[in-house]
Amino acid sequence: MKNSEESDSYIIHGKLALPYTYFAGRTGSTFLTTLRDQRIIMGVKCTACNRVFVPPRQTCERCMADIRSQWVTVESQGKVVNHTVIRYQDKHLPRKPPFVLAMILLNGADTPMTHILEGVNPDRVVKGMEVAAVFSPATTNTLLDIDHFEPVAEPP
Amino acid sequence: MEKEMNVTDNDNFDTMADQELIVLRKTISVDQKFATGPVMGKFLTALKDKRILAIQCPECGRLQSPPREMCAICRVRNREWVEIGPRGEMRMMEYCYYSSPDPLTGESRETPYGAIGILLDGCQKEEVFWHLLRPEHLEMVEMGIVMGDRVTRGTRLRPVWAQERSGSIDDIKYFEIDE
Amino acid sequence: MGFKKKNRHVGIVGIGETKFSSHREDVNQPEMIHEAVKDALEDAGLTMDDIDCVVHGNMELFEMVHQPDLWHTLGTGARGKDAFRLTTGGTTGGTLVGAADNLVAAGMYDTVLAIGFEKLQEGHTTGGITNMADPLWARKLQSGALTDSAAVKAIAEFGPDRAKKAAMLYRIIMDKHACLNPNSHRAFGLDWDQMADLMENSPPLIGDLRLIHMCSQSDGACAMILSSEEKAKQQCDHPVWIRDHITIHREETLNLCVNHYPNETTHRFAARHLYERNGITDPLDYFDVFEMYDPSAWWGADWIRDFFLLEGDAHYRLIEEKEIMRGGKMPINPSGGVLAANPIGATAMVRVAEAAKQVRGNAGPHQIPGTVNHAIASSFGGTMWTILIMLEKELNW
Repeated sequence: MKNSEESDSYIIHGKLALPYTYFAGRTGSTFLTTLRDQRIIMGVKCTACNRVFVPPRQTCERCMADIRSQWVTVESQGKVVNHTVIRYQDKHLPRKPPFVLAMILLNGADTPMTHILEGVNPDRVVKGMEVAAVFSPATTNTLLDIDHFEPVAEPP
Repeated sequence: MEKEMNVTDNDNFDTMADQELIVLRKTISVDQKFATGPVMGKFLTALKDKRILAIQCPECGRLQSPPREMCAICRVRNREWVEIGPRGEMRMMEYCYYSSPDPLTGESRETPYGAIGILLDGCQKEEVFWHLLRPEHLEMVEMGIVMGDRVTRGTRLRPVWAQERSGSIDDIKYFEIDE
Repeated sequence: MGFKKKNRHVGIVGIGETKFSSHREDVNQPEMIHEAVKDALEDAGLTMDDIDCVVHGNMELFEMVHQPDLWHTLGTGARGKDAFRLTTGGTTGGTLVGAADNLVAAGMYDTVLAIGFEKLQEGHTTGGITNMADPLWARKLQSGALTDSAAVKAIAEFGPDRAKKAAMLYRIIMDKHACLNPNSHRAFGLDWDQMADLMENSPPLIGDLRLIHMCSQSDGACAMILSSEEKAKQQCDHPVWIRDHITIHREETLNLCVNHYPNETTHRFAARHLYERNGITDPLDYFDVFEMYDPSAWWGADWIRDFFLLEGDAHYRLIEEKEIMRGGKMPINPSGGVLAANPIGATAMVRVAEAAKQVRGNAGPHQIPGTVNHAIASSFGGTMWTILIMLEKELNW
């Protein structure tokens, strides 16, 4: 029988579908339930390096200090420190393009948090822009209980 | 999978009930595409014509079906094709009571089912072909055993071909008792 | 085989383990890992400043997290350090120890932290494993991590009566060991008079493999710190020395269905080569304890023969005479083994960690009687992958 040839190759379509579960843990759960029930954004402060981490974590990865009980409340308002414009469409994305993902440093926090920025022309987003959280009316028990951020209205 | 009988909680998770713990349940689902390559492609295409092909190692002579580009033992490219089966002898069965998820859908498979190794005619020793047994025949087959000099024959099996064949593993529905 | 002797000796100076359990809702992945890392650093009396490199691993597709090593920096302490991620299936924990051993022996780093973890409650073990198989053929056929092949082979060779009894005897011995280990996930308190009942009534999974024979799905992490001879002697009064390790694998998944044939397994192949190059002629006599990666009682009972290069029914006689129990001729898995806890990416490392603790003499309630000078630990992966790691109390070989 003769040898196989390149023309024998073709494409077969497949799928990978697997169920999984994610546990937020105690620290993550406190952050999410406070966000959901009280609309308060909380972080933890490392007593060794004084950094406030938002979202919170049990351990400061720089100092290796256990900071799980050092809760602080931060403002739901802050500044854009960086951003990008999503210009392609894909089923895993949370919004239709074009939309803005921004890194937002909340007032009182030392680590920026990535979230969706709306209410502004994507090409007009600038570093330092003051933005505030808009909470979602429905809960998903995720960070999307903040629906998005939007610019704080310019003072008159 | 098994209920616990000695839950001895340590200090880190002793007061589980004092707080709502957030749990998210999701299914990851990704569309995939696989290129068959020329070797698997030739083998799968032949299934459309109800033919089962094997590829032969030029050095050790072993047959592989489904075929591989290389003989991983001799580290040489396989070149010669031969037709095997389609009838053969039952050699090994995984009689599955536990329903694992079908990775293509995430849904649990129907149980019980039998994943079997068949020594197709023209093959020998380890040259076993892997497919499914007709569910109604699960209790009616004997495995052939090779244990040193002791050799017992397994039940004779034949493939049941799908009406519509597209060049995939599903072109054979399953193997059934050949009487 | 292109085996080279190590450039320098490598010692285990720190060991950390979490308690193993079916569920850890109270912590996320990095938080759970941090428990083992903290435990290992405390055990060694070191801080992250002493660690030159971190190697990290678990099973692919089990928690459905891409690049967990990045996220886990919060728990591993790898921030700003050289780091590697390794994943080789069931052998991952052994691969991590082997890689750390190589990195230190080669002189690349003086002190390496190896971390294996799994949070199996978060993913789907059987579904994840099925995706290792060839997508065009074997994915549809593979039954996850479950297989009846060892039972088929044992029953064909020894008859159903003796084979089933040996597997159940092995299972109960492991449970008796597990009951002594405070970290066990499953310790049922089984006794000999339950054998007949369990052989008959434990729910069947595949063929003669029943639920009671099979390992659990566990959450947990393990961390180990390895140092060069010079550093290890400064850091620790009694390092446990890694004399040698070997890692062997076979073909890919399409060939898994032929394992019931009497060919040389990767276990026997690895054992033969490891003992030959270390001048060990009678491994049963040489080693004082063996921590085996035994995913099921059928496999555990069968593999004793391969790992100790035995013939005929010598392995069954060891089980039947209970010589594999604590205090026996060859204590196997005083920890309870994989049947007691199976956080997969950590499991193979736990074997090395438990063997090392036996050598140190501080394993806890499951410490075996007598001095342990020579220990061996195995790792196993579903593609028929074997790792063997040899540990020594004294640097005298």
